[in-house]
Amino acid sequence: MHGPVSQEALRAEDVRKVYRGRTGPQVEALRGVSLAFRRGERIALLGRNGAGKTTFLRIASTLLIPTSGTIDVFGFDVVEVPEKVRPLIAVVPQEGKPFFHLTPREQVYCYLRARGISKEVAKARTEEALDQMGLQEVADRLSVTLSGGQKQRAMVATVLATEAPLMFLDEPTIGLDPFARRAVWNVLRELTRKGSTVLLTTHYLDEAEALSERLYIMEEGRILFEGTAESAKRQIGGTLRVSIQNGGNHRELFASFGQTVAEGTSLHVITEPERIHEVMDIALREHLSATVGPVSLEEAFLTIVGRSIDEE
Amino acid sequence: MVFGLRWAGSGVFLVTEIRVQLHEWLAIVTGTLTPGALLVFVAVLAPDLLAVTVIGALVYSMFLIGQRVLNEAAYIRIDHKLNELYHASPLTPEAYFIGIAGGMLVAYLPPSLVLLVILEILHPLSPFALLVLAACLLAVWAVSATIGYVVSTLFKDMKTIWPYSALLTNLFGILPPVFYPLRLVPLEWRSAVLVLPTSAAAVLVNAAAGLEAITAEEAILAAISLGAEALALFAFGIYWARRTARER
Repeated sequence: MHGPVSQEALRAEDVRKVYRGRTGPQVEALRGVSLAFRRGERIALLGRNGAGKTTFLRIASTLLIPTSGTIDVFGFDVVEVPEKVRPLIAVVPQEGKPFFHLTPREQVYCYLRARGISKEVAKARTEEALDQMGLQEVADRLSVTLSGGQKQRAMVATVLATEAPLMFLDEPTIGLDPFARRAVWNVLRELTRKGSTVLLTTHYLDEAEALSERLYIMEEGRILFEGTAESAKRQIGGTLRVSIQNGGNHRELFASFGQTVAEGTSLHVITEPERIHEVMDIALREHLSATVGPVSLEEAFLTIVGRSIDEE
Repeated sequence: MVFGLRWAGSGVFLVTEIRVQLHEWLAIVTGTLTPGALLVFVAVLAPDLLAVTVIGALVYSMFLIGQRVLNEAAYIRIDHKLNELYHASPLTPEAYFIGIAGGMLVAYLPPSLVLLVILEILHPLSPFALLVLAACLLAVWAVSATIGYVVSTLFKDMKTIWPYSALLTNLFGILPPVFYPLRLVPLEWRSAVLVLPTSAAAVLVNAAAGLEAITAEEAILAAISLGAEALALFAFGIYWARRTARER
């Protein structure tokens, strides 16, 4: 592993990217993204499809040149000195697949060797990664014969085995079953304990909440929110959600307790713990059944992004 | 580091590509079917041209190996996104290009060597002719692999790319005098075909093997064209590999 110079893993300043289509209109994918994180952090980048997450990741991983702005990885500019950045990073590309005509064992080992890792270390890390990703049973089968989830695990194993100081994972657990997802989470936690930094994009908000120490929410090429999952939840005006069955027609009764969201015939009321009794009393008086649960990151995400869409 | 190039990892990536190809051994074995079929036709219809056709088959096979770079590079970029895995790593873009091109060469070369054995039986080559053959085949591979790699980076869909490989192979391998002697080409067209890398290679080897008489001017034109094209295109391939490692 190369010794990174800076303790700041990544710093992006006012990054913009405009795709100039040959035939169609130009698309402004990033509109001034600035963010920074330290070595050893696990960061999640959330956003709707087309929010700019992958564009940002590709620029940060030296695969795409920005229209303007700068990104430094461990103090090295990704545009000016990509050759200094590349030994410090590893990327799981979105929808990436392993070589179909290699086995997972060959795939991981060959990639580590191509990165300049010695035979002994590459061999040991390959076995460890296959173990961690639960791939030992299929380690000597050609990847073309594996299931979609096993192929994805082989890709993740390939990158995690690098133990690179900064790893970019673009939707790394897509298509994985809950057990495999948790295996990936455990490995990522272990790697950050060892000093690696992880930036991942995901559409699984439970994953972002379970895994990331900080998260960024993007929309239309801008950062809308930066902070912890807990602080994101606080953005929506309450920490508890009361779900009232058939409460859709009684919205005005609950409007004073906090944000109300209609979903089908149900009504969700976002409120604080001290007001729960009042909400439940009204629901009982109206003969409506209600359940109480914590506000989820998904609700926070929908609120933050929805607010931005409304403003537009 | 030569000329500012960084080759670290190219050998390992080359071996990776060979492993990938060896798992598809049937494709390797069937790689020489087309020139083999042509040999059968020529053996029946014009047996006196058989040695010339075998040399043509060697040149054609080498061009075909280069064109396999087109399909492989496009496949792992478009379908697998593995180019991103490798480009965002210490493996340099030039090592990536050389790895794919070299991997294809090593994996697909053995069946072509069968053609060399056939040629040695039909028309044994002198050491000089063998040297010319080796140099010409290497030049054809460099030209074809570079064209293949460059074309592979130009499109975003495999279906769009498929016809280009067939088009280029026919344009360079079938149309010009690769499988047939230069003397069958009208005089006014000869300079033009001697500039094409595949026909230049075939003509030079045929001449070195004593199968065809060409003028000194024709030999010089063919040799300079082939050498210059191979060097210039290969250098461009390295430049292009570096340029396309990052999208704009």
